[in-house]
Amino acid sequence: MKKNPHMSLRPTRRVIRLKRYEQPPDGYYEDFLKEFHKRQRAEPLNTSIRGLMKERLADKFSEFRVPAMAFAVAAVVAVLASIAIIRETPRQDNPRAYSVSYTPGTPTYQTPVTIQNVQPVSLRLDPAPQNFPQTSSLVFPATGLLPTAEPIR
Amino acid sequence: MSLEQPEPLLNNDHELVARTQGGDPGAFDELIVKYSPRLYGLVYHMTSNHEDTNDLLQDIFSKAYRSIRNFRGNSSIYTWFHSIAVNMTINFLKKRNRRQHHSLNDPDSNIENDPDFIAATSNGDPTKEVSVHELQKKLNAAMSRLSHDHRIVVTMFDIQGMPHAEIAKILKVSEGTVRSRLFYAHRQLQNSLHEFKRN
Repeated sequence: MKKNPHMSLRPTRRVIRLKRYEQPPDGYYEDFLKEFHKRQRAEPLNTSIRGLMKERLADKFSEFRVPAMAFAVAAVVAVLASIAIIRETPRQDNPRAYSVSYTPGTPTYQTPVTIQNVQPVSLRLDPAPQNFPQTSSLVFPATGLLPTAEPIR
Repeated sequence: MSLEQPEPLLNNDHELVARTQGGDPGAFDELIVKYSPRLYGLVYHMTSNHEDTNDLLQDIFSKAYRSIRNFRGNSSIYTWFHSIAVNMTINFLKKRNRRQHHSLNDPDSNIENDPDFIAATSNGDPTKEVSVHELQKKLNAAMSRLSHDHRIVVTMFDIQGMPHAEIAKILKVSEGTVRSRLFYAHRQLQNSLHEFKRN
């Protein structure tokens, strides 16, 4: 008959069980409660707000127990979604090439836009349309204060 | 001091938890009185150091007190306390790493009358008798060689007498995992404690 491996481990288990005789000194548990109260009173002074926040967050998150399989499912969904997105993106086999030629003799209106020729939008004063009431300072109160700027070409 | 720890009265626990959540610190004191011996044993047999155990146990109950408002009662308070204790003790042991220093409690004098002690120490031959302290040293050395995962199951199952199902709940693993860890831990302990083997 085959020997049960658990049976041969019994003497070891009995010896290990003897560790239960290792006990703290008498009166330890009474003193423990007193020490707990002492520490509780001192704790608010010693604990930083950051530490408390960190611990509370950790407690909150520890309540969300997501089964291990849920992580695997989420990973598979993420991979499938990535593949779908990659396949759906339209291919550009021959991307358009843009080239701008610029020579010093080119007229101003053909000059590529540079930072010197750009005015901030807030300062741009386009000419008002013909029928726009120029005196209506309630609509554009700052209009009369700024010098008239050249319209951008 | 009695070594037999009483079975937790879970109905009473519900009331104590509700009172603590309602702001009665006296109710939490009752929970401390009730569970500190068990939790002390758990932490002590993991750390093999009385001072570390005392500090850790204070931190465990402080954390439990701060978090008890979040306790929803999905498990018993007994399981919840043990889960906090296991996590905090394992984190502590990881930080302590190899800088371990044993500070062992003296075994209760009743150990000398225990038939298992008599059998293990004399091994049928009174001339080869091993002292209590010698045995204690060897048991602790053997326990220290176990991984944290193995040591925790041996502590809960063999020393504290907890059932597999309860250990599985506390560790959030299957009962099969608990049994498997126990088997490998016992085999390793058997190699370390071969001199105490008897038929």
